[in-house]
Amino acid sequence: MPSARFCLRPASRRLPRSNTRHHVTTSRPYEELNACITQHAPSPSSSTQTAKTVAIKDNIATKDFPTTVASNILAGFTSPFDATVVRLLRENDYTISTKTNLDEFGMGSHTQSSSHGPTLSPYSRNGIPLSPGGSSGGSAVEVLTGRSWTALGTDTGGSVRLPAAYLGVVGFKPSFGVVSRWGVLAYGHSLDTVGILGRRLGDVSGVFGVVRGWDGRDPSSLTMRVRERIEEAREVRRRRRRRRKKGGVLRIGVPLEYNIVELSPLVRSTYIRTLERLQSVGHTLHPISLPSTKQALSAYYVLAPAEASSNLAKYDGVRYGTRPTDPDSSPRDNLPLYAQTRGQGFGEEVKRRILLGAYTLSSEARDNYFIQAQKGRRLVQRDFDRVFALANPLLDPPHSVPDSDSTGGEQDEGVDVIITPTAPTLPPTIEEVKRQSPVESYMNDVFTVPASLAGLPAISMPVGLSEEEAKGLEQTDVGSVGVQVMGQFGDDEGVLDVASMIEEGQWKS
Amino acid sequence: MLSKWLQSRKITTGRRSLQQEAIPLRKHLKDEAKRKKAEARINGDNISNKRQRTDPRLEKWELTVGIEIHAELNTACKLFSSASAEPYDQQHATTPNSRVALFDAAMPGTQPQFQVATLLPAVRAAIALGCDVQHKSGWDRKHYFHWDQPNGYQITQYYKAFAKDGSLTLRASDGVPAGDLNGADSLVIGIKQIQMEQDTAKTTNVGSSAYHIDLNRAGMPLIEIITLPHIHSPQTAAAVVRKIQAVLRSVDACVTGMELGGLRADVNVSVRQRGTDGTGASYSGVSGLGQRTEIKNLSSFKAVEDAIVAERDRQISVLEAGDVIEGETRGWTLGATETTRLRGKEGEVDYRYMPDADLPPLVIGRDLVQHLTQTLPTLPDAMEVELQEIYGLSLKDAKTMIDVDEGDRVDFFETAVEHVLSSDDEASDSDVAANKRKVGKMVGNWILHELGGLLTTQERSWDDVRVTPKKMSDIIVLLQGKEITMRVAKQLLTEVFEQEPCSEPVPTIEQLVDAGNLRLRPLTQRGYEELAQSIVDASPDMVKAVREKGQKGKIMWFVGQMVRTGDEGTVEPEKAKEVLERLMARNGAP
Repeated sequence: MPSARFCLRPASRRLPRSNTRHHVTTSRPYEELNACITQHAPSPSSSTQTAKTVAIKDNIATKDFPTTVASNILAGFTSPFDATVVRLLRENDYTISTKTNLDEFGMGSHTQSSSHGPTLSPYSRNGIPLSPGGSSGGSAVEVLTGRSWTALGTDTGGSVRLPAAYLGVVGFKPSFGVVSRWGVLAYGHSLDTVGILGRRLGDVSGVFGVVRGWDGRDPSSLTMRVRERIEEAREVRRRRRRRRKKGGVLRIGVPLEYNIVELSPLVRSTYIRTLERLQSVGHTLHPISLPSTKQALSAYYVLAPAEASSNLAKYDGVRYGTRPTDPDSSPRDNLPLYAQTRGQGFGEEVKRRILLGAYTLSSEARDNYFIQAQKGRRLVQRDFDRVFALANPLLDPPHSVPDSDSTGGEQDEGVDVIITPTAPTLPPTIEEVKRQSPVESYMNDVFTVPASLAGLPAISMPVGLSEEEAKGLEQTDVGSVGVQVMGQFGDDEGVLDVASMIEEGQWKS
Repeated sequence: MLSKWLQSRKITTGRRSLQQEAIPLRKHLKDEAKRKKAEARINGDNISNKRQRTDPRLEKWELTVGIEIHAELNTACKLFSSASAEPYDQQHATTPNSRVALFDAAMPGTQPQFQVATLLPAVRAAIALGCDVQHKSGWDRKHYFHWDQPNGYQITQYYKAFAKDGSLTLRASDGVPAGDLNGADSLVIGIKQIQMEQDTAKTTNVGSSAYHIDLNRAGMPLIEIITLPHIHSPQTAAAVVRKIQAVLRSVDACVTGMELGGLRADVNVSVRQRGTDGTGASYSGVSGLGQRTEIKNLSSFKAVEDAIVAERDRQISVLEAGDVIEGETRGWTLGATETTRLRGKEGEVDYRYMPDADLPPLVIGRDLVQHLTQTLPTLPDAMEVELQEIYGLSLKDAKTMIDVDEGDRVDFFETAVEHVLSSDDEASDSDVAANKRKVGKMVGNWILHELGGLLTTQERSWDDVRVTPKKMSDIIVLLQGKEITMRVAKQLLTEVFEQEPCSEPVPTIEQLVDAGNLRLRPLTQRGYEELAQSIVDASPDMVKAVREKGQKGKIMWFVGQMVRTGDEGTVEPEKAKEVLERLMARNGAP
C-alpha cells in the first residue's frame, strides 16, 4: 500500500493532526469588499431571513434584480424571467438576498475585471488585500462574511472552486447537466455549470438538493434516463460495498501529474496531511496517472474563448443592453457592424477572449486549434474514465442490467474519488494579480480545468493550516487551503460523501 | 413512440386555411399570365422562338449550375422554440414581433429546444427527394453579424446534414430543353444533401438610415436542398426549382410557393470552354469546372432563369475578353439584365462554423423513416402516370391538374370521380377499370374546361370556388343518367359557381333541378316528329338550303331551333338531329 508520501514526493515533514481554523481577522468593512452588486433593502424581519438567504452571481437571470454579468454591455439590464435555479430556490422558500460581483462574463480568476470594480478578499497580506479568487468571488465573500447563508456561483473552469479555496469556504461544482443552465448567461456553454458556495458542507448539499433536477428548457440537462442509470450504478456499488469485508474503504486516487513544481509548500503539506488522515482510518491511496492533464489547460483556453466568441455574439445593443448614441452600423468609418457597441461595452479580458476564440474558429486556424483542443478534451475525459471505478454513465451502458454484485458499472481496480489541491498556491495579493500576465493568471486554473472539461463533479473543501504551518503567516492571511475532491461523471453524491469526511474528520477512529 | 410521432404529425401538418395563404400567389400568377400575354402581343411570334434562339458563343462555352434551395417547412412551431410558425404573408401579416419566444430574441440565458415535430416534413422531403436519411446528424453554429440574426449565428447542419445523396429526375415535359436531354427520356440531377436550419428575422428599411426588425420569422424551420453542379442550362435550372417545389408540395413539406418567399434559391454559376476542364475547380466530387460565382436570394422561377442567363453571358464576355472570373457573391433583381457584385472573395464572411454543444445530436430512428416512407403521399411523377392510366386523362390535362392550384384540383378530381362511381351501380366488375377511365375523362373535362372556363371568364381564383366535388358529381351523374341535358348541366354549374356565400344551407343539385323544372322529360318519338315538322314548316328557305344546296351543316340550326322551342329540358340535341335528318331525307326524296 503506497503512503501519501510515496504518492506525492517530495513530501513535507509529518505534521500534527490538528485542524485549526482561522477566523476572519480583518478590519476592512464589508462595504469595501465590493462583493454585492445589488441587494434588497433590509427588511425588519431580516434576522429570520438570513437563515435562508441565497446570494446569486450576477450572470444568473433574476426578474427582480438587474442581471449585468459585470459588463457595461448589459448595464441596467433586467431579465424578463428567472433562471430555473432561482425559480427553484424561491419555490422552496429561500430568499434571494443579493446579486454578487464577478469577473465580466465569468472570465477571470480573481474577480478583478468587473464593470462594478474589483471584489476584495477580507484577508490581506502586509496590508494588501488578497485575491478572493474568481470568477465567483462576490458569491464567496458574501458567504464568508455571513451576509448570505449560501450563494450560487458558476464554474466554467474553476470559478466556484477557486474562490472557495482562496477564501476558505466550501465550493461545489456538480456534474455538467445535473443543474439547469436555463437563465445562466453563457460564457462557455459546454462547460458552464451552476455551483454552490457555503460555509458548511451540509448547507451546500441542502441547496444542491433543491436546485438539481431535469429541466426541459435546458437541452443539455441530463435526461431522466441518465439520472436513473446513475442511481442504479450507485445502488450496485452500495450493495457491493456492504458485502465487502472492509465495508467503508474508499479507494482514493492521487494523480501524479498534479504534483507540479509550482505547488507551494503550504498547499503541499496540507494536501498530504489530508491524504494521510484518510489513509490512517483505513482508506487506501492509489497513485494514478492522468497523462492529458498537461494539455487540459491549453485545451480549455482554446475551447472556452471559442465558445465565448460565439455566445457573446448576441450582444449587439439591438434588443437589449447598451449602445452608443451615434449610428452603429458605421459603414461610413469602414467599421464592422456593431463595432462601437461591442467596443465600448466589453472590457479588455472579454475582448481578448472573443478575439482569441474568433481566431481559433476561423477557417484557417480551426484545424490546428479548435479541433485539436476538442481532441485534447476527449483525451482528458478518457483519462478519467480509465481510472474511475464507476463507468461513465454517458457512454454506452453495458447491455445486461447490472443486478447483483457482479461487475455492473464498476471496474475492479478503479478509484472511487480523486483528491488534489484546488489551487497550486495560497491566494496572491491583488497587487501580485495586477502584475501577472494573462497567461500567468490562467495558471490558477490548472487543477480545476480537467474536471470542467470532463464535466465531473468536484468540490473544494477548506482544510485549516496547522499551527506550525500558519506560523509564517500573518493573522490577517487566509488560514486554510482548498482541497479538491473529484468523482466520476454523475457521482455527485460520492464526492459530497468524501467531502463530509474531510469536513468532519470522520476518519478519526 | 410511433403513436406519439403520428400524433404530432397530425397536429403539425394539417392543411392550413387556404384562404389565408394563397391569394397573393394567385394574384401573382394572374399578373404573370397577363404580363406574358402582353409580351406575346408585342413580340408576336418571336416569343415562342426566343428560347431556341441560340447565342453562337454557347457552342464554345458550356454552362454549369448548382442550386441551393431554401424552403420553409410546414410546421406549427419554430425549429427551436414553441413560438408559432403559421405562414407569414403580407395579406394576413401578424403583428410584428408577436410570435417570439425568449430564445428567438436571443435573450441572455436562453437555450434552444429542438421541436421534434419539425422533423416530420423535413424527413418527408428527404424521402421524396430520394435521400438517405442519416441516423445521426448534428447542429452547428454559423456566425455572422447582421440585424436579422439575433444570436449572431444561425443554427444549421454544416458538418453533418440529416439527409444525403438524393436525386431528382426531370423530363422534357418538366421544361428541360432537348439539348440537355441528349436524346434520353430523362435527366437525373444529383442532390448532395438536405439540411435543417433556422430562418432569419425580417427587416424592413424605413427611411434612409433605419431598419425595422420583425422577429416573427426568426427561427422558423427551413430546409436547404443543395444540388450537385449537374445543370447545364438556365431552363433546366428553373425546371429543377419548379420540380423540387412540386415534390415538396406533394408531400406537404413546405409552406408556400416560391413567389411567396416560402422558397428562395441561391445559384452557383460557372462556364468552361467545351472540351476543357475549365479552371480545374471542383465541387463535391464534380471536377473540371470553371471558377464559379454565387447569385443569392432569387425568389421566383423566372428570376432563377434570367439571373443565370445574365451571369452566364457576363462570364463568357469576361473570359472572351481574356480576363478571369473572380469567386464572388452577386445579386440580381427582377427585371435587371445584369447581375451585380455584392462582395468579393476577400470580403467573404468567415462563418467560423462550430458544433453547437447546446444541442444533442439529432437521431432519426429507422422506424420513423420507414413509417413516413410508407405513408408518403403520391409524388408528382407517379401522380401524372396515375391520372393518365387510371383516370384516362391526357398527358397535358394530367400535368395541368397537378400543376395548378398547388395540387388542390387533384384532390377535388379524385373525390368527384369517387362520388360519380359510387352512384353508378350498374357497372359490372369486369369493366370497373374501363368505367373509371371513362368517368375520369369526363370529370376531368368538367373540372379543367368547364370549371376552368368559369374561373377564367369570371376572373376568380380556385380558393373562391364554392362548387364542391359533391355538387359537381351530382350534376355529372344526372347528365350521365340522361336526366338533364348538357345545356342544363352547364347552367347548373354556372349557378352553383355564382352562388354568394351565405349562412343558409345551400340547395342541393336535386332541389335546383326540381325548382327550375329542369329535369329531362323526354318527348315521345311522335312529339319529336311533330316539333321537327312545325319548325321545318316555319322555315322553308332554310329547308331549301339543306335539301337543294346540300348545306348539311344548316341542320344544326334546326336542332338549335328545336331545343329553344321545346320546353326547357325536354329536347336532347342528338335525338333532335336524328329526327330532323330523317324528316329532311324523307321529304326530300319524293
